[in-house]
Amino acid sequence: MSSAARSVDIAGSRLTTDVPVADGAAKVDPLLRDQLSNLRGLLVLSMVMTESTDERQILDLATRAVPSLGRCHVAGVRLVNSGWHATSPPCAGPDLRVAVGAQLHQLGGGGGMLAIQNEQWAWAFPLRGLEGPIGHLVVGAPEEPSGSEQFLLRVLAQQTGVALANAWLHTKERATAQQLAAANTALAQTIRALERSTAIHDQLTRVAVSGEGQEGIARAVHKLTGFPVAVEDRYGNLRAWAGPNRPEPYPKDPQARREQMLRRALREDRPIREAGRLLAIARPREDVLGVLVLVDPGGTAGEQELVALEHGATVLAMELARLRSLADTELRVRRELVDHLLGGGDEEGALALAQMLDYDLERPHQVLVVEGRGRRRDEDAFFHAVRRAARDVGAGVLLMARGRAIVVLSPTGAPFDRLCGAVLAELGGGTCRIGVGGVCERPSEFPRSYREAQFALKMQAIAKGVAQVVQFDALGVYRLLSEVPDTAGVERFVRSWLGALLDYDARRNSELVDTLTEYLKCGGSYDTAAQSLSVHRNTLKYRLQRIREISGHDLSCPETRFNLQLATRAWQTLMGLRS
Amino acid sequence: MTHTLELGIPGLRLTAGDHVCAFYRGPGERDEILIPYLRAGLVTGDKCICVVDAVEPRQVLSALGSEAEVNGWISDTQLELRASTEAYLRSGRFCTEEMLAFWEDFVGPAVTGKFTFARSVGEMTWALRQAPGVDELIGYESELNRFLPRYPQVILCLYDLERFGGEIIIDIVKTHPRILLGGMVVDNPNYLEPDEFLAIRSRSAPVDIQHVYDHSAG
Repeated sequence: MSSAARSVDIAGSRLTTDVPVADGAAKVDPLLRDQLSNLRGLLVLSMVMTESTDERQILDLATRAVPSLGRCHVAGVRLVNSGWHATSPPCAGPDLRVAVGAQLHQLGGGGGMLAIQNEQWAWAFPLRGLEGPIGHLVVGAPEEPSGSEQFLLRVLAQQTGVALANAWLHTKERATAQQLAAANTALAQTIRALERSTAIHDQLTRVAVSGEGQEGIARAVHKLTGFPVAVEDRYGNLRAWAGPNRPEPYPKDPQARREQMLRRALREDRPIREAGRLLAIARPREDVLGVLVLVDPGGTAGEQELVALEHGATVLAMELARLRSLADTELRVRRELVDHLLGGGDEEGALALAQMLDYDLERPHQVLVVEGRGRRRDEDAFFHAVRRAARDVGAGVLLMARGRAIVVLSPTGAPFDRLCGAVLAELGGGTCRIGVGGVCERPSEFPRSYREAQFALKMQAIAKGVAQVVQFDALGVYRLLSEVPDTAGVERFVRSWLGALLDYDARRNSELVDTLTEYLKCGGSYDTAAQSLSVHRNTLKYRLQRIREISGHDLSCPETRFNLQLATRAWQTLMGLRS
Repeated sequence: MTHTLELGIPGLRLTAGDHVCAFYRGPGERDEILIPYLRAGLVTGDKCICVVDAVEPRQVLSALGSEAEVNGWISDTQLELRASTEAYLRSGRFCTEEMLAFWEDFVGPAVTGKFTFARSVGEMTWALRQAPGVDELIGYESELNRFLPRYPQVILCLYDLERFGGEIIIDIVKTHPRILLGGMVVDNPNYLEPDEFLAIRSRSAPVDIQHVYDHSAG
């Protein structure tokens, strides 16, 4: 056995040592075996690093392996994208970091010698990823490591770079996959919501098309949501119900609270929650046609229930708008018919319009003139209150507004005495008076009945009557006087008995004719007449004395009193006719 | 004829005399190696000696088989299961000679008696404790290579990569002829024989085991 100097090239690193040689065959040098063993260790370390997807873990493995590869240590790891790495032993102090950082910057993507305070030897080993330099592994040592040790450090740095690039790529791919998964989840949710929305839309559209009306809409929304459902009109009256536990009687909010709720729902423009109920307004525009209600005292209704409720409210709005349009058309035709009749239009035309409405015009009718108002002046509300009240009490369905009054063509025998009360109930208070014209057997008689109804109302006002319903047929002498064809004779009669008093009242703006009228109406009772006129008894006596003096009539004479009373009635009748 | 045996993981085989270090991440991966390795040996009729550290011995027993099976293996002395404090650290410190004697006491009589083969396994996380003598770990691993050829046996050393860092991996690889990593058994023809390793080591800096403590997650 002999010994010879052997030089062995191991993966770019030249080891030179004395190698024992036996029988001409080379025996592997222990240092070479150590180097090979280190490389095997690096291979395993590289496999471990490559399996990791955690940047911090990879750098931790690499930096802690450095002392195993020689008498050296890690001075720091600096990555291009994140600077000095916190988990590795960093270059001490910010000043030193700045100095080393500047040197690394000069090195660019390559490696090389560094000058670091308190390090006899320092080297920057480049970390390279798949797309170029990603940083440096900075190693320090008390003396320059051997070539084989430096080779191991280069391999370690190279493997660390690959592992880091792999981990970043993995992280990026995972993030992309997560984004994709999130996008897929969102898309699936959107599709499910759309499918559900389409199903809701289809079901409600079928209900709308099939003409199941408000009941059908309530049933469909109940079926879709599982909650009890109510359809209310804008005033809170129940129009349809679907589901269990229908309340009896159906609760109704006070008008002010109802209006407040409607205003809030219109303002928020989406279903609102109030008193354990979810409410959606059925509205084509700003006009509230109805309210769709989901009864949900537990507040458990979710997004899908809201969607069903909103769709339901839209379909309900369409249904109510359709009904309103039908009603409007019918109302318009009715109005045309009433106008035609009151205007004395031809009978044939009137009967044709009545036939369109499937209305029997050839039965006896009476014309009603309804005057009044609710608590606040709203002529439209008054019209609809009269319309509903007339329909509900059976007082007629043909009506139209004329001026501030509503004219109703009422079949004879209809309970129009109940109409006033019904109108006031619809309005929630206010005033209401009705004049009732005489019976008309033929369509051509409606203008006369209309005049009579108007006259009855006027006479009631002139005569200061208190009754809410005044029938022309019950006007007595007023009716007789109003039907005198030549009012000039009546006027002459009035002038002959009341002329002096009328002239005096006109000159002095006094009320002697009114006083005389009330005195005679009260049968000559001072007390009753004074009370009716709201004057003191002595005032009444004084006025009566003036009446005697001006007219020259003896009020105690029965014949005179009769003629004077007839003259006052005639005077009132003339005023009624003239107005 | 070379004696080969099932590792317990399908497709992987060991050879008599193998000193294998197995790297894994966490208890789940550990059990995927440990349990099949022991069960394969027990089913084959090998003497099995297991030392665990991060898991209770009774948990290993319950994972190995039915209560009847396990009771049979224990009463037959086929299975020896110890905690690390009863083996590596049984004297309160780690001592290479004591531990080699431990293996000798179990393996020697077994394979000269009623068993023909022994398979041993040790969970090495005990070396991360601050106990005296743990800095002998790498030297001990190297010395085991002298012990292995003496009997028909294999020894599996379990290293948790979540707890052991880079400073230990390279030295561990140097002292193990075979490495189990990522489901593969990798031959290590360049592992250093004990004499080589200890000679080289004496010329270079020893592994700073205290540094291992400072950085280990455990």
